[in-house]
Amino acid sequence: MDIILRNLTYQGIPIWRNVYVIRWVSQIVSGLLVVLLVSWFFVNIGNAIDDREIPYGFSFLSREYQTPIGQHFLAYESSDTFLYAFFVALTNTLIVSIAGVILATILGIFVGVCRMSNNWIASKLALAYIEFFRNVPLLVHLFFWFYVVLELPPVRQGYVIAQKVYINNGGLSFPWPSPNGMGTAGVWLLAVALAIIAGFVTHRRLAIREATTGATSYPLVLGIAVTLGIIAFAWLLLSVGLIGSEGERPFGLSYPEPHGAFGRISGGLTLSGGLIALLVGLVTYTAAFIAEIVRGGVQSVGRGQTEASRSVGLSAMNTLRHITFPQALRVIIPSIISQYLNLTKNSSLAGAIGYSDLTNVAKTMTQTAPAVSIFIMIMVAYLAMSLVYSVIGNLYNRHIRFTGG
Amino acid sequence: MGLKYLVLLMGLISMVGLITVACSSEEATESTAAVASGDSRLDLVKNRGKLICASRNDVPGYGSLDASGNNVGFDIDLCRAIAAAVLGDPKAIEIRYISASERGPTIQSGEVDVLVRTVTWTTSRDAQWGNYAQTMFYDGQGFMVKKSLGIASAVELKDATVCVTQGTTTELNLQDFSTQNNLNITPLTFEESDAVIAAYTSGQCDAFTNDRSQLAAIGSGFDNRSDHVILPDTISEEPLGPVVPHGDEQWFDIVKTVMGILIYGEAYGVEQSSVPSAVTGDTKVDRLLGITGSYGQESLGLSQTAAQDVLKAVGNYGEVYDRNLGPGGINLPRENGRNALWADAACTNCPKGGQIYAAPLR
Repeated sequence: MDIILRNLTYQGIPIWRNVYVIRWVSQIVSGLLVVLLVSWFFVNIGNAIDDREIPYGFSFLSREYQTPIGQHFLAYESSDTFLYAFFVALTNTLIVSIAGVILATILGIFVGVCRMSNNWIASKLALAYIEFFRNVPLLVHLFFWFYVVLELPPVRQGYVIAQKVYINNGGLSFPWPSPNGMGTAGVWLLAVALAIIAGFVTHRRLAIREATTGATSYPLVLGIAVTLGIIAFAWLLLSVGLIGSEGERPFGLSYPEPHGAFGRISGGLTLSGGLIALLVGLVTYTAAFIAEIVRGGVQSVGRGQTEASRSVGLSAMNTLRHITFPQALRVIIPSIISQYLNLTKNSSLAGAIGYSDLTNVAKTMTQTAPAVSIFIMIMVAYLAMSLVYSVIGNLYNRHIRFTGG
Repeated sequence: MGLKYLVLLMGLISMVGLITVACSSEEATESTAAVASGDSRLDLVKNRGKLICASRNDVPGYGSLDASGNNVGFDIDLCRAIAAAVLGDPKAIEIRYISASERGPTIQSGEVDVLVRTVTWTTSRDAQWGNYAQTMFYDGQGFMVKKSLGIASAVELKDATVCVTQGTTTELNLQDFSTQNNLNITPLTFEESDAVIAAYTSGQCDAFTNDRSQLAAIGSGFDNRSDHVILPDTISEEPLGPVVPHGDEQWFDIVKTVMGILIYGEAYGVEQSSVPSAVTGDTKVDRLLGITGSYGQESLGLSQTAAQDVLKAVGNYGEVYDRNLGPGGINLPRENGRNALWADAACTNCPKGGQIYAAPLR
């Protein structure tokens, strides 16, 4: 404040050219404009809701939903509440999002590396892939894969592999672990978590030992061995009943089986046709963008780095792994995160091909609950998912950023 | 000196700011009020010179495209009838094609004048969406299955997967039916009816549920119609009719009256090809046609001869039905069914067994 006063009482510079005045005024004006714009939106929404008697409120959340949800990975009954149904739908979207992000990253990096390959065919194939998938709207992709899935035989004439895997246009069903008893399964999962921590600690200790003393210590191999050892030991103990008095295996396998007059598959895990079409569509589409980001990132690393690495005798693969890629990651991560966000938000097209994602279920909810409230919930849910991805991405970005060390 | 300038400037800025806030909120109120209460919907339509209807173009009989690309159907004719009554020109319409789940938000926002898209009248929709003018077709939910499944009744759909369109009452009724009969039905919900049909015909679903008349209409487009069968069970009430936005009673009354004109047109035997424009001697017909007497045209803001325009444009209810849903369209039987007239208007003691009825025109 002192500084401002001193500058203001100084007669030399006219007020409209005083840098402090300009800074303050421009900040205040732009702040006011933002406040005005936002309040105008809210006033407008409020008026519209009042004038047209549009219902609004959240009291419906504790009411029974009484509407079916096509596919759900969490247990759901029509007597559950709106809030829980919304959560079930959110899980459906999360599963698509997480699986899609992992698969798209793998495929994207693979295509991106192929694109930079010296192998002419691999490089041109990758180019064709990228250009084709990038330049066709996602909804068209989804319908394409939807009709591909529909071309599969219906459930009763579907393919069966070894009586354990069922493939038909209703989806893909395969054996899946199911907990035998909540107690033993829980104890075992706890043991798995501890085993993973123990494995990491072992790995870290041995890696430090190797780095400081130079003695070959096999940190990776021994770390994995410790993890697997503890997991297997816990399984054995629980199975023969030394810890849990029941003495049962924590998990059994649930096998898919045709069930009922229509031969619908129950048991095991079924990925519905809609989910498969959605995942394939989202993954192939997003991977094309990721491939280009990977290529851009790798090519942004100076040529001298590669040449230096090769000249000290690292192979092409090791150069990519230890020299080029770690540096490229700093360029890649921020843009790849926005692709993850895109994939998550694009999954809201699922309603077109019959997968019960968040948007699909929530739109059905607008039939028996106020649409304004539902759409606010949809927005908040996607915003929350996007923010979580951003936070994780930024943490990782901070972890790998260039620290000079 | 400088400080004075600063204070002055701050004062000016905050004044400008305050004025802008005041103006903008006032403006906002006005602009939304223009649709809601300032101008009546009738004035809005007349000034615009055309009627905006939300409807469909994907189901034969209700709303589809004919060979030359014209939008035709029962719902479309109801829209044309309202345009004829209000504007004197049945062609002065703009149809917005919307999916089933878009119906609520579309009519709630008041962006269309009337929603005629096979909308079932339910109490929560009446409370939340808009005002239901008049039931113009009594429907019920049914199931279509492949004949090869060999099932005779919907209660045999135990553990079946059933295709359904999102945002419909059928989606909600399906759960009631499944719970009541302990059927454990898995629904497969799609936004667009094209995807529903594709999923059903490919066998992704075991059955397809919709209003019975729409099942018949959609089935009429199948190449192998005889391979499919509509099960005899009707699991719900589906009264269909036009919906208007909340908040304008005059407009609500106008749409109800136009529906009444169609229904009494049939009851009095006034046909499209021979709408009288001079005194017929039958007081009821003369009043309907605006030649003598009144059924409230002035208070509604309709022209004296609005009914003549309506009946010349689309014909009476029976003609609209026959052209689209009857022999001229998807061939749903009407005789002795619920969609027959309640009685002969000329002879109130001669019941026809139907439920198509409207407030008497007088």
